[in-house]
Amino acid sequence: MIEALLQTLLNGAASGGVYALVALGYTLIFSVLGVINFAQGALFSLGGYLTYLFLGGKIGVNGALPGWGLPVGLPFWLALLVAALGSGAVGLLVERIAFAPLRRRGAEPLLSLITSLGAGVVLVNLLQLLMGAEGYAFPQGAAGLAHLPESLLIGGARIRTIQVLLLAISALAVAGLSLWLENSRSGKAMRAVAEDATTATLLGINSVAVVRLAFLLSGMLAGLGGGLIGMSVSLAGPYFGISYGLKGLAVLVLGGLGSVPGAIVGGLVMGLAEALIPAEASGWRDALAFAILFAVLVLRPSGLLGRRQLEKV
Amino acid sequence: MSSRIAPQAATQPLLQIERLQVHYGSVQALAGVSLQVHRGELVTLLGSNGAGKSTTLRAISRLEPASGGRILWHGANLAAVPAHRTLKLGIGHCPEGRRLLNRQSVAFNLELGAYLRRDREAIAADLERCYGLFPRLAERRQQQAGALSGGEQQMLAIARALMGRPELLMLDEPSLGLAPKLVAEVMTVLAELHANGQTILLVEQNAQAALEIADRGYVLEAGRIQLQDNATALLRNPQLKAAYLGG
Repeated sequence: MIEALLQTLLNGAASGGVYALVALGYTLIFSVLGVINFAQGALFSLGGYLTYLFLGGKIGVNGALPGWGLPVGLPFWLALLVAALGSGAVGLLVERIAFAPLRRRGAEPLLSLITSLGAGVVLVNLLQLLMGAEGYAFPQGAAGLAHLPESLLIGGARIRTIQVLLLAISALAVAGLSLWLENSRSGKAMRAVAEDATTATLLGINSVAVVRLAFLLSGMLAGLGGGLIGMSVSLAGPYFGISYGLKGLAVLVLGGLGSVPGAIVGGLVMGLAEALIPAEASGWRDALAFAILFAVLVLRPSGLLGRRQLEKV
Repeated sequence: MSSRIAPQAATQPLLQIERLQVHYGSVQALAGVSLQVHRGELVTLLGSNGAGKSTTLRAISRLEPASGGRILWHGANLAAVPAHRTLKLGIGHCPEGRRLLNRQSVAFNLELGAYLRRDREAIAADLERCYGLFPRLAERRQQQAGALSGGEQQMLAIARALMGRPELLMLDEPSLGLAPKLVAEVMTVLAELHANGQTILLVEQNAQAALEIADRGYVLEAGRIQLQDNATALLRNPQLKAAYLGG
């Protein structure tokens, strides 16, 4: 009984960690620009596929180049890193195409919801064109996980190794990001831009560069999440990232828009709540997630850790 | 504080603005403003609400593009300089409404004032100097900037600008919303900075307070310079007296 609970909690924490990654990606961009990047789910998908390819996976029969694969088979951690960088680079491209032109023209910021959604749709369809609509299971053994045991015995509970890795890697990424924001020069610059871009400019901070950095990091977080989910579950098709993107959005609102600790806490709450739903009732998972969101918003409209709007002086 | 006449003989002004025009859409905010600031001077730019004072400072900081005329800094045109580079060139701007990072601590605001600097020891020394200049900030260094009183916020805004060690310190209405005693306090600090050689361009509606510490002044009206003279002369100017100094 205890083992089963421990197992459930760890599973919940692991998927909560991935939700937190996605939500943090939204948070970075929201805090500097005040908008949501709806291409985040597509970048999540992209990260999954890139990880698959860098692990040495081959393109399936419905893809553009059936049977083709990268002539590499990287260890899983390196594949995740490279895939994250790839998604980050595409995130930068999304900024260039879907956000920067609107900003330059002083357009209504809300319009970028549409342009980023469009960028996401294009990206997912490109993935479908290249990789086909089929699902992909990650190459067994090629993941560099071969020499790791399939499962670990923790406190009497049998936990899949990959779940532990998932939790550890997302925790590392989240901790690294928080420390960077708190202590580094560029992290401080990002916090300044998040609060007042004009002030930041007058202090010598290049806010355009900071915005680009936010997109790079945000894309990397999404890509990492996609790679991790691909490794622990599989790639269920080019659209698989979209549902994680939506879940991340719910987590973002649950935790409080623009709050870094909020994204982390929100992710864990969501992951644990879902894990507590028994497998036979798994159809209720999303319903539960959004019911929690609803309840929290009724009680705390600014989210779990969101700050109340400062009154403007 | 007696008004002094600055050395006009200096060859090249630090800042020279020539027939500057700024438009907001089709509305003309500045219709050909010319002014100069020499090294070591305290120059004040006076005028009522909407006269174009803030716009002038924002144009110098490159936050607003000029639609005509030019801004010369050390004789070089600023037209191609992006806004985030102006502080690096030596132009510090303490903006209208203070624009503090209200959710961050006093210390973080000051630290960010020195964002471009790498000289850690000199930054630490300047930080102590700022805390010496404004002891209230030292007491509240860990508090959120947004929780400070109006006067303290203004002190913090000035201190933050000083942390960037600007060659020219531009201040946009530092007396706004402050009680008379605090206005006097702010002006005393500015006079002290000036006495220590800091070049200052002070935008003010409170003409009396500004002219008492300034070397020279300009009066801006509807986007044009209407009057310019040294501060003592402006304080006695009947036109200005009628308009801004309460008869």
